[in-house]
Amino acid sequence: MKSSPGGDSTGLISRLARQHSNELGLLAAIVVVVAITTTFSDAYREKPLQNVQEILRQTALLGVFSLGAAIVIISGGIDLSSGSVIAFSGSVCAAIMLALAPVDDAGNPMTRNLGSGVFAIAIAGTLLTGFLIGTLHAWLITVVGLPPFVATLASLVGLRSLARVFVQEVNSSLTVTGKTTQIYVNDETFNRLGATWWIPLGIFLVLSLLSWVLMSRTVVGRHLYAMGGNEAAARLSGIRTDQLKWLAYCLGAMTASIAGILYTAEVGTANPQVQGRGYELNAIAAAVVGGCSLQGGVGLVSGTMLGVLFLRVVIDSVAKMVKVGADDYEGIIVGFLVVLAVAFNELRQARRGGGKQFFPGRLGATVIGILSLLTGALATIIVGKNAGFALFLISLVGLGLIGFAERRAAARRTAGPDSQLP
Amino acid sequence: MRRTRVGMIGTVAGLFVSALLGCDIRDKPGGAASSQADNVAAGTGKRVILLTNGADPFWNAMRAGMQAAEKDFDLNAAGLRTVMDVNDGTPKGQVDHLRQYANQTDIAAVAVSVTDSANGAIAKAMRDCQRSGIKVITIDSDVDRKTNRDARFAYLGTDNVLGGQELGKAAAGIRPQGGKYATFVGLKGAANAIERISGFAQGAGPKFVQAENLGDDMDLSVALKNVKDALDRNPDLDMLVGIWAYNAHAIVDVVKQRGVRDKTNIVVFDASPKAIGHMTEGNIDAMVVQNPYDMGYWGTRLMKALVQNDQATIHDMLPAYDPRMHAFTDREGDLLVTGLRVVYPDAGSPLKKEVFAPTTEFLSLSDFKKWLSSHNLTGS
Repeated sequence: MKSSPGGDSTGLISRLARQHSNELGLLAAIVVVVAITTTFSDAYREKPLQNVQEILRQTALLGVFSLGAAIVIISGGIDLSSGSVIAFSGSVCAAIMLALAPVDDAGNPMTRNLGSGVFAIAIAGTLLTGFLIGTLHAWLITVVGLPPFVATLASLVGLRSLARVFVQEVNSSLTVTGKTTQIYVNDETFNRLGATWWIPLGIFLVLSLLSWVLMSRTVVGRHLYAMGGNEAAARLSGIRTDQLKWLAYCLGAMTASIAGILYTAEVGTANPQVQGRGYELNAIAAAVVGGCSLQGGVGLVSGTMLGVLFLRVVIDSVAKMVKVGADDYEGIIVGFLVVLAVAFNELRQARRGGGKQFFPGRLGATVIGILSLLTGALATIIVGKNAGFALFLISLVGLGLIGFAERRAAARRTAGPDSQLP
Repeated sequence: MRRTRVGMIGTVAGLFVSALLGCDIRDKPGGAASSQADNVAAGTGKRVILLTNGADPFWNAMRAGMQAAEKDFDLNAAGLRTVMDVNDGTPKGQVDHLRQYANQTDIAAVAVSVTDSANGAIAKAMRDCQRSGIKVITIDSDVDRKTNRDARFAYLGTDNVLGGQELGKAAAGIRPQGGKYATFVGLKGAANAIERISGFAQGAGPKFVQAENLGDDMDLSVALKNVKDALDRNPDLDMLVGIWAYNAHAIVDVVKQRGVRDKTNIVVFDASPKAIGHMTEGNIDAMVVQNPYDMGYWGTRLMKALVQNDQATIHDMLPAYDPRMHAFTDREGDLLVTGLRVVYPDAGSPLKKEVFAPTTEFLSLSDFKKWLSSHNLTGS
């Protein structure tokens, strides 16, 4: 039977909806969080433009290196070094500027008016640094044979330490302040790179577009997916996996280097002791929330973009609605959302795979208790004792019923095929 | 089965939304505010915020001062309430906080303990807050006064150069023959750190030689390592100087571990509960104590006056402020200095009141503890 044009478009929409269910879910979640925040906080209603700009700026700063993290994850690897690469790259960028800055009578470099030539050299030098770090990672993984986790863990620890020594030596050589631990860059044009909302956003969008073209419109991108899905099969089919890993880790490190430039510009200081500390986990969280599977081969650039935006919207929402100690709640909420996102992914895969028990056996029963206690404790802290106790009971009963239903369904599945046996 | 799993995710998501909504309930008039857990500031009205540079018991006394001022100056009746936000010790953390404030609608005033005086981004974020209608002052640690004085209305806190000098004089009183010293601090770039360390050198005099100046970036394990490293590198080190409150603990812990108390003197800034215990045990020779309680108290009063445009109170607190001109008549008139105390052990201290500035209180440990008790404080 010939389908009607209307039928075709309906089919196309439903196919697109199926293909992008994760992105659509994230979009819906973003809308819900924004709607809740707008309802309960004046800030979004009275200062919409400023808040949109700030959320987009923060999204862009995190998004730049989350794209690199996502490409590495899709290719089947992991990059734990982005936070330290940010710190190291920021230090390199600031050090180059310091070295090229004019000097005052006391012998101190003046970083207030550096000029575009200095910026260009510093940025090029920083990107080269990122490329070299990525190359080192690829060599450690493909030639030395270290697992990606170990290779990038070494960089996570080592690069920050190297950056601290480097900054002190640079200050000792180029300034009269001696071995101080940070480099200041006071040029306003440079500061605007990270502080003016549309500049990081523009960089993020351009990088997203390039990443999308690479991953979705080129053979190299398809090979990266193939390698992430099954590296051995990809290698046997003739794909040069070592070259692909080199590309993936270089992209991971170079995007982190770009983020390093932006973060250094934002605060006008390279301070490797604290700069970018823990950011690698934010990037991985954004990629996972955006639909990337840590097993590799799965994930989209658009999903990662929305994952970053979702995380930043939620963090901003917490800051707007929790009037005291919002920072304290930020980690709980982000951690919770990462688990929730992974649970959704599991749910989708389980739907395809014919079902999965979330609370099996005694382990499941214990976890129901833990989750209920956690919910009750959180509600007690945030709302009060009565609400905490009520939510504890609701969680216990609700999750208990789900666990019970799961067991019955599992028992039916087990009994079903047996009963049909001859 | 599918419905079951969707139900599970839905349940958890519902709990999350409930939690978020719960966060808001406490800010609603007549909501659940009165039954809040006590670590969450309840109440309504615009916020008057103190943004710290990091986390430390030092801020507890300032919080107590703010809360006392909230009652004494009846901030609630003026539609205001006090809140303390704890920064993570980084300039970026402080910039992010300030940017967030500028985008909110319920913040009336902010007092910032500036993490890094030389950081232009913090000063810029403070100016953005001012442009959003938020009154901004600095407290405890100021911006670079040469370049960023306009980023705040006034500075309220210790005269850190004088504080450093008093600590240096205490060191000279304990070791009249002089010695070799090391200073330990959180952030070497913080204005209060720079001023205290230079003041210490002035107060201690030429008989003292500085061997090390080590920053730990507010990492307590690094603070311990710094003391160990300084002792390893300088076996003849005989004066250990704690510049920030928690440095005292790191110094005492290492000195006790190494068993070098008999050949090492320890002088520190601030009197955290642990430092008071250390002095009671005879492990600290002198403390120069700021008055964070007063900083919180007077800082809150000043912020309220600024929010209400109460020119008379502003003039009363900062006499160099001319209410008619809306400007300071004296270049340094925007500094409101809170008092200092030198605290010495109850027995065996060689320190004499005469060597210190007349404005500095000179207290034995017992008398200092009595003052703390009278304000329900455990440290200052």
